[in-house]
Amino acid sequence: MDMSELKTTIDMAMLELDETQTASLEGAVEQMLEYFALMSTIDVEGVEPTTHALITANRLRRDTARTDVDPDSLLENAPDLEDRLVAIPNVL
Amino acid sequence: MWNTILTNARDEYAQFLAEQDRTSGAFLEIGSPAQWSSSAPATGDGSSLPVPVAVKDNIAVKGYQLSCGSKMLEGLHSPYDAAAVRRLRHAGAEIVGKTNLDEFGMGSSTDNSAFQQTSNPWDYSRVAGGSSGGSAAAVAQQLVPVALGSDTGGSIRQPAAFCGVYGLKPTYGTVSRYGLVAYASSLEVIGVLGAEIGTVADTYRAMRGEDEQDHSTVAIPPEATEPAAADSVRKIGVLQGDLGLDEAVARNYQHTAEMFRELGYTIVPIELSTLEYVVPAYYTIAAAEASANLARYNGVRYGYRPVFSENPEELMRMARSEAFGDEVKLRIVLGTYVLRSGFQDQYYTRAQKIRTLIRRELEERFHEVDLILAPTFPVQAFAHGDSGMDPFQQKVADRFTGTANLAAIPALTIPSGLEGGLPVGMQLMGPAFSEERLFAVAEHAATVEPVRFPDRSRSFEQWRSEHGADGARGGK
Repeated sequence: MDMSELKTTIDMAMLELDETQTASLEGAVEQMLEYFALMSTIDVEGVEPTTHALITANRLRRDTARTDVDPDSLLENAPDLEDRLVAIPNVL
Repeated sequence: MWNTILTNARDEYAQFLAEQDRTSGAFLEIGSPAQWSSSAPATGDGSSLPVPVAVKDNIAVKGYQLSCGSKMLEGLHSPYDAAAVRRLRHAGAEIVGKTNLDEFGMGSSTDNSAFQQTSNPWDYSRVAGGSSGGSAAAVAQQLVPVALGSDTGGSIRQPAAFCGVYGLKPTYGTVSRYGLVAYASSLEVIGVLGAEIGTVADTYRAMRGEDEQDHSTVAIPPEATEPAAADSVRKIGVLQGDLGLDEAVARNYQHTAEMFRELGYTIVPIELSTLEYVVPAYYTIAAAEASANLARYNGVRYGYRPVFSENPEELMRMARSEAFGDEVKLRIVLGTYVLRSGFQDQYYTRAQKIRTLIRRELEERFHEVDLILAPTFPVQAFAHGDSGMDPFQQKVADRFTGTANLAAIPALTIPSGLEGGLPVGMQLMGPAFSEERLFAVAEHAATVEPVRFPDRSRSFEQWRSEHGADGARGGK
């Protein structure tokens, strides 16, 4: 993967890395992708992909309200609140 | 025994935990006795599992932190119990603390934790393994009889081998993942580390079963929940060829196979031609799923938030860049790349097809043998820092453990003796839902090769008697 591809990928991953961090990541990514290339040496013609090994069908649960978790205890973990709303920086 | 301690010596036991944990650094948080139990039925004579349990800090326990070893979730407190924890509490277990791990479960050393180093109780200059290194060290240090971990590609079994304890990675979907912080959803499962196979089995039995809050849980065939018949395992497969093991582990592998032969099992030489593809397929899938699962951390509703940001997008980028460690960033970037339009067929889809081939080959082998005996990891516990294994070598070494995650089958690491004063652990793998057979064979092996503890570790009873009456009174 060349540097511009790497930078695009870092951007897509919502990360922001400086030049030093990007350079050190480049080596590690390159090493893994070279290793992944081994996968091209096995014949997978006509093989179905496995997404989940044991799940055969979607399972749904009843669409009803539950009270397992108290919403206020969830809000207690928010970094910044205004009343019962999570506050984030202004866009403008 | 534990029932008595949890009833009559709670403060002393808390003191023991805090004091004895200083050497290995297994715990990120030790609860006060009041935190241990919940509103669930109190420990008593009627409970089936009256034991203290340590829980890896990527599994939700109400009233405790849930840091995942990451600066991203530092200070987060779980408002609920994971389904597995809830079931253990109902069986009488008490949760005494949260254990250290590699950030979000990514690593093989626990050195990737943002908070502290965990050392191997057998040799503090070495790692406890990972990512469930804190849970393994807590058991090996005799702090707790049993601990929960999660296993995505070997994260229970490898630290169990490094620390000389049992480590069970159950069949995928037999234990609910509700309350397990997601890393690679199609591979990971909550499992058990323990000092005695009986306690490991009882802990798994208390946790297993379908859960409507995790749609990927599966129905366990009723016959698979019955104790295994003595003759249900006769043939054990042993891998042939150059497995790339270091000398001590290779020698131990042969000895362990020989031990099973002497116990009356038939040893059958087998080959796994897909073994060399396990790690690339595993890391492709794990990274892809990690990049999707960790997209939720953006500094908005909970978790790390930068001191200053101009706008919401910058808030997200800065939160992620400042709070994730290097290994997590590597896997997110790799995962983002293999899922990018144009690369999917080459990487992600191909890895999933290889996953199919690995499953098929294992299914074929399980027509020839009842269980497979494999190494857990090619080396014993390595040193902290640069003199140990580099991160790439650690990944390549996941080939024996990653197999079971790709195929969704159960695997149990058992202690297989010491080499050079350090423990080695071998792994028994079986077809889906064969946990009871794994327990029976491990129980049998324990008659020859029981768990051992490092000389300097102390059980609670030993610690209490060494502290004398003063220590006992001091704890009240």
